[in-house]
Amino acid sequence: MSESKNTIEVRVERTIPASSAEVFDGWLDPKVPGNPWNKADKLILDPQVDGMFYWNFSGTPHFGRFTEVQRPAKISHTWMSPNTAGLESTVVITFQQKEQGTLMTLVHSGLPDSDAGRSHEKGWNYFLSAFPEQFAKK
Amino acid sequence: MDQLTDVFTAISHPTRRAIIGRLANGPARFLDIAQPFDLALNAVTKHLKLLERAGLIEREKQGREVLISLRPEPLRQVAGWVHEYERFWTERIDLFEDHFRKQQKETVSRTGKVNPKEKKP
Repeated sequence: MSESKNTIEVRVERTIPASSAEVFDGWLDPKVPGNPWNKADKLILDPQVDGMFYWNFSGTPHFGRFTEVQRPAKISHTWMSPNTAGLESTVVITFQQKEQGTLMTLVHSGLPDSDAGRSHEKGWNYFLSAFPEQFAKK
Repeated sequence: MDQLTDVFTAISHPTRRAIIGRLANGPARFLDIAQPFDLALNAVTKHLKLLERAGLIEREKQGREVLISLRPEPLRQVAGWVHEYERFWTERIDLFEDHFRKQQKETVSRTGKVNPKEKKP
């Protein structure tokens, strides 16, 4: 995570054991667990340039506009939700084919640097869950 | 360097995270900490020094022995630094990765092949 003035950028990288086309398609298929469209209470999804999405999850609405859809390499879209506090943040996901699978890099930038975003309690739970099991037991 | 940087440095290495995991179960002697690792003792000493600099461990003399124990408080600083969206995307991508790993396992058990050919769209 890096910071500039009042906005923040979150970056997550992961190697997924499948081809870049499979991972790209999986990211846009609402039936695949883990992508932002899965488990929606209400979903409208039109993944093409200038297509819009509306994703209501646990009573929280998220919406945005696709700005780049380049199969199988890149997807970018804007992202607004109550957590972006009126700011139009940007999500860019790139898929790079490697020998072991596909390196997926997600960069969410233009996020407001607010206390609400840096929830201590939630951050702590996240941290524990990411830690070895024996640590969480304590 | 500030303490947050020291804490991030301390938890950036898998061996040091394993040491923290070990100490989360209770204080231990140096040799007990070093025993599970296939490392020279001075390498373990270096790892412990970095953990100590971050304020994550403390040494206490008990008779002839020195006990090393975990001080988890500095980890809370890291927790406060984690943005909610970092947590959100990490959790989502964990689920996404799991889906593909399960699919890969099923394919391997069905065909015996590790890298199946890409499905036609």
